[in-house]
Amino acid sequence: MSAIVARARAIPSWQVTLSVALLALGFLIAAQLAAEGPRVRYTTQERSPLVEAAVELQNQQDALKARILDLRSKIGTLEAQGPGSAASLKDLYAQLEQARIGAGLIPLAGPGVVFKLEDANQPGAGSDALVSAHDLRVLVQELWLGGAEAIAINGERITSTTAILDIGGSILVNSAYLAAPYKVAAIGPDDMYARLQGSASFRAFVVDRVQIVGLGLSVAELEEVDVPAFAGNVTVRFGSPVESASP
Amino acid sequence: MTAPRNLLSLGPRRANLAIAAVALILGILVVGQLRGQSNVPGLSALSAQELTLLIANLNDHNDQLRDEVATLDQQAAALQAATANGQTTVGSLQSDLARIKAWSGAIGITGPGIVISIRGPIAGDGIEDLLNELGNAGAEAVAVADVRIVPGVVVAGAAGDLSVENTALGDVFEIRAIGSPEILLGTLTRAGGIVSQLGVAYPDARISVSPLDSVAIPATDRNLISSHGRPRL
Repeated sequence: MSAIVARARAIPSWQVTLSVALLALGFLIAAQLAAEGPRVRYTTQERSPLVEAAVELQNQQDALKARILDLRSKIGTLEAQGPGSAASLKDLYAQLEQARIGAGLIPLAGPGVVFKLEDANQPGAGSDALVSAHDLRVLVQELWLGGAEAIAINGERITSTTAILDIGGSILVNSAYLAAPYKVAAIGPDDMYARLQGSASFRAFVVDRVQIVGLGLSVAELEEVDVPAFAGNVTVRFGSPVESASP
Repeated sequence: MTAPRNLLSLGPRRANLAIAAVALILGILVVGQLRGQSNVPGLSALSAQELTLLIANLNDHNDQLRDEVATLDQQAAALQAATANGQTTVGSLQSDLARIKAWSGAIGITGPGIVISIRGPIAGDGIEDLLNELGNAGAEAVAVADVRIVPGVVVAGAAGDLSVENTALGDVFEIRAIGSPEILLGTLTRAGGIVSQLGVAYPDARISVSPLDSVAIPATDRNLISSHGRPRL
């Protein structure tokens, strides 16, 4: 034993440093290769300005959404401070607040579930091993059928005008570019997850996409799930409102 | 003191050089990894064609967001002025209320758009794909057989056994959508588009799309206010 210790002590420090550095190098190379996964990496030169343009536009989108949320909050505050004390005006403010909540323009918190959906870790499995827009749409539909009242994917609130689209190996939700892993947060009744488990179509999704293809799917039932507000356009440009008795 | 021969095979100078070389490669890899992660994740995996599509989509959507910012800016300015003058802004509040309720489905809406006629068996999944494509094409309001599509409404069931909001749809029904008739029609019926895809997946079904100058879409029967979620005002 003491001979081994003595041998170890005899190793020069530069050799130890070199070994650690080589170990780290190996890890980094492995991480780099694993990150490539099944996604195809293109190296054509014309892509660089396109990537920069996409990043810039995504940054602009984030800034515009933040501005919209800020303005909505400011408008809410101004309405609350409004000079009108008439009951009719107060009623109008209350109706506006309810309309905004119903439209998903106000964040919600409540009991619910959060699903995490990840690409399959199977090198060479091709695009089928990636989470697709269809997978997310199926999960969202199952949650609605299970009684969900508000859903967001990676912070993007699902509304009646939301489209969930494939773009390469990633996904657009409300025109926001999202990458895996996808967190689907839903507020709903306490038995929402039990209802999902009882759904034949949800079970078929789990068998086909999780058990066979190998997508990662985990779920947490939580007492408090946050679903953010929709930060998009709610102006109808082609349609005109028809005033009638509200439901 | 005698050291084993292999420990002396590299002199201090060569050892330093070896460490420096490994450290350099390590540094380059770390910087590459960090730069890659600071970018929008996954963008590097997109082809030039997919990036072009993404840029077009982001451009369109950002234009819509700018319109929304302008509308809200105007509204905030009007409210601020009214507060300063001690006036009320009933008209502007009512128009904002109608705008939000029309968009959310709380009230009915009319406007130009399209009607999609479905004849034959299609599964709920196929209809949901069609509704998703309508959203992508900028539909402002959609109804399936007079049921307004709002969050929570799902067209479900196997081909020939479709239902929406507990109402059986049968094999013949219509979907109506408000938006730009040209864009809606073009998006759905383009070569390889959703109508072609559904035609291949459901060969016994017939799907036709027609533009209309005026489409009426009713309000939802659903209560849009969540009973389990608390608003974070």
